Amino acid sequence: MDELELLKKDWKSREHGLPKLSYTEIYQMILKKSSSIVRWIFIISILEFLLWASLDIIFKLNGMQAKVEKVDMGSFSLIASIASYCILIYFITRFYLNYKKIKATDSTRVLMENIIKTRRTVKQYIWVNIGFFTLTILATMAYMVFFTDEFQNRSIEEQAPIWLVVATTIFIIAVFVGFIILFYRVVYGILTRRLKKNYKELEKLEV
Amino acid sequence: MNKELEHSFVTNLEQNQNIVHKVCRIYTSDQDSHNDLFQEITIQLWKAYPKFRGDAKFSTWMYRVALNTAITLYRRSKRSIKTADLDTMNFKIKAEDYDDEVEQQLKLMYAAVKQLNDIEKALVFLYLEDKSYREIADTMGISEVNARVKMNRVKTKLKKILNP
Repeated sequence: MDELELLKKDWKSREHGLPKLSYTEIYQMILKKSSSIVRWIFIISILEFLLWASLDIIFKLNGMQAKVEKVDMGSFSLIASIASYCILIYFITRFYLNYKKIKATDSTRVLMENIIKTRRTVKQYIWVNIGFFTLTILATMAYMVFFTDEFQNRSIEEQAPIWLVVATTIFIIAVFVGFIILFYRVVYGILTRRLKKNYKELEKLEV
Repeated sequence: MNKELEHSFVTNLEQNQNIVHKVCRIYTSDQDSHNDLFQEITIQLWKAYPKFRGDAKFSTWMYRVALNTAITLYRRSKRSIKTADLDTMNFKIKAEDYDDEVEQQLKLMYAAVKQLNDIEKALVFLYLEDKSYREIADTMGISEVNARVKMNRVKTKLKKILNP
């Protein structure tokens, strides 16, 4: 293509017109902090881990834990607690390992894959948490309805609202999960839209 | 040790800064964004520098990090989303250097390159820098055949933009 050859010639001849930074100016630059997408992903992911890991504490501070314990679900809450910490440790380890793999010296494709993988780990953690959270609420509710004296000993008239309790709980869970999905769509959208677009472009198979 | 590393890095970059400026020229349209991207590329190069073993030329190594930063790592600020300003200082062509027709054609070419997507810009950049298809493929992480096919597509796309 003649035009591209013409451009190449011009491109080379224009080198002398490029800006020239001094040693000091470049030195100043290495002292600054990166504002790269990876740094943002790292900060946001850590915040997400902190938020979800601290939900437990928030519950305790709210007195929710006391209420749950009053229901006396035996070892269920203990097991749930241990499981949630194991999940947290597993995901943080995976996140850290993936994060360490991100290197600007890899090829563009590998770099993109590693970033996407790192982000995916956090996404999976969020989903596991939502699932876990939903399950805990449902289990607690089922236990309360079927096994506690409070509900079992009620007269027929008093029992009527059980379906209402179930419906309300499901509704609240649905709203909550919906809200989280919406929130993540926005956060992911902002962070990774361009990355995903470029990755797809690179992946496109030739015909 | 750290001071030594800093010194050798800054000296190396100072001598090879043209590569970074050229990447910035392809990916940004105004001086502020150019500086922003240059800053981010410098940080990424510095972060990766301790692992640079000298098994490749410093300049070769720079292409990869600089392009990766421009395509993947750099978070564009709002101002760089503006449509390409063709007459920014980087693309001004001195009237005495070219005759009108060539000048016009070059202007259109630069404008067309600006319309390409990030990956296509990288291909054109490496092509303009006289890199072989092998090197282009290595940098992007695609096969050599793939690089050739993609480059041909970019050429066709440029032609289409220039002659709609």
